[in-house]
Amino acid sequence: MATSSIEKLATWRARGTRVSEQIVQQGVMMLENGGLRKMGDEAWSFLEQLALASMDIGRLELADECIELLSEQFPGSPRVECLKGIRIEAENKPKEALEFYENALLEDEANPALWKRQIAVLRSQGSSFILRTVNELTKYVDTFYTDIEGWLELADIYAELNIYDLSLQTLAHVLLLASQNPFHVLRFAETAYTVGDVPLALKTFLRVIDMDDSAGQEGNATKRAWWGVKLAAARLLSFPNSPSESQTSLPSAEYLRLLNELAREQLTGTYFPTSVGGKVHGRDAFVAWLGK
Amino acid sequence: MSNSASSSLYLDPQIRDWVLFPITIVMTLVGILRHYVTILLTSSPKKLTRAAIREQHALLRSQILRSTASNSPIPPTFYKSISASLSHDFIAGTYLKDGPPKDEGNDGAPQPPLNPLTNPEQMEGMMDGMKKQMVMMIPQMVIMGWINFFFQGFVAIKLPFPLTLGFKSMLQRGVETQDMDVRWVSSLSWYFLNFFGLNGVYRLLLGNDNSADSSKDLASTSPFGGTRSQPQAPMQAQDYGKLFKAERDNLELAEGLYNWSAKNVELRILRKFGKIPPAKA
Repeated sequence: MATSSIEKLATWRARGTRVSEQIVQQGVMMLENGGLRKMGDEAWSFLEQLALASMDIGRLELADECIELLSEQFPGSPRVECLKGIRIEAENKPKEALEFYENALLEDEANPALWKRQIAVLRSQGSSFILRTVNELTKYVDTFYTDIEGWLELADIYAELNIYDLSLQTLAHVLLLASQNPFHVLRFAETAYTVGDVPLALKTFLRVIDMDDSAGQEGNATKRAWWGVKLAAARLLSFPNSPSESQTSLPSAEYLRLLNELAREQLTGTYFPTSVGGKVHGRDAFVAWLGK
Repeated sequence: MSNSASSSLYLDPQIRDWVLFPITIVMTLVGILRHYVTILLTSSPKKLTRAAIREQHALLRSQILRSTASNSPIPPTFYKSISASLSHDFIAGTYLKDGPPKDEGNDGAPQPPLNPLTNPEQMEGMMDGMKKQMVMMIPQMVIMGWINFFFQGFVAIKLPFPLTLGFKSMLQRGVETQDMDVRWVSSLSWYFLNFFGLNGVYRLLLGNDNSADSSKDLASTSPFGGTRSQPQAPMQAQDYGKLFKAERDNLELAEGLYNWSAKNVELRILRKFGKIPPAKA
């Protein structure tokens, strides 16, 4: 029993699964049975996990216990400092938390964990802090260029502020860093569509479909991308001469027509698989709604 | 005949108790001691400033951009603008830790590389490596002296399996006899066998990343060897200004290779779903 919960906790920790209820339940059991000694060096990362999980579900007294144990073992560790900061956040005292992080960053200005927490608190403060958030976050990604989370967050903020141009540029960096993730590409495509760069959006939607090499079973990103292709192709077909500032070359009208047709087939196939057979209720309405 | 000659050699059990075991035990204990001394000596990793990290990551930016160039995920305009802004910043020295160089007129003249001994930060890193090196070297020298002094020429153990003559110089160091069977191991050779072989024991006792094993330090015998263990701290005086200038040329090269991965994607998709005939090979 004890070893299996150790293993379970370790897997959750490694994957970053957010199952705080279960973590606390298992963790309390471990603490009561003296499992800390059995874990050896793993005990400290377990305590960190338990502290975070118990703050997540509001059992602050348990979190305090964990943090105390940890700070006894590692006095002055930035990781424990970070936990203490989150503990302040958990009490819903953003002002104090900000102050705490700022002081901690004075000690060690380049600690990414503390810096990210600070930005997260700023972001949670809403629109009055938005300028400061963006400033800090730009500085952060400028320093830690490879942090994809930071870039995604920045793209999100820009999108929230309706500055889709900047959001698109930020997502370009995300694509450079993680070009293998179809969801990032999809997001890039959708943002491009929102900006109004339809040819670019069409190309990028197609790229998402191109990335999916699973035969038969389409990923969720691919399904959504087919919708994007349909939208973009239909729009380009119906307004072929609309002025566009896009730098992306347009596929020929013939290809556009084929793409439009293909997208319609794919979408119909997704929602009304042919294997069902016979007349399916709603299929005609769907096809009619998709249009040509 | 030689068979009977070698089997007529008997080792005093006293040798086992007072030579073989002591050497092994002393070496194990010294290894464990060294592990803890190293932990004591290791200074906590130095804190870097934001500017220093930015400087280190700047090269990474252009490397990421360059490595994707031949099949880039981002469209041409985006690629060009990122590439151009990086080039511009590399020339202007925006990413340098101490800010852009001040004397613009003197830009072309090569600046002398910093002497690592004058920079206190790097000095500290070097001292760290040196200290660790000393902890490695001194006990080994002492043990070897001890064995040489007390047990020179001792035959300590007989291996339970036969070996070819080639192993003679490895197993009978310090015993200059032509005729003795290779299975007999001299005390000095026993020391070397332990020296290289105790790693497994240390791992069992101290965990995986212990610093007790001395044989792996043979690979990095320079006092600058600390570079590997602490890649974060800049040990060598790297002239980032020069690196950036070189990187700029690479960026320009990569721009020539640039190809958008979505360039002909509509053709690929239409072919994949059989809307247009496949490309001719």
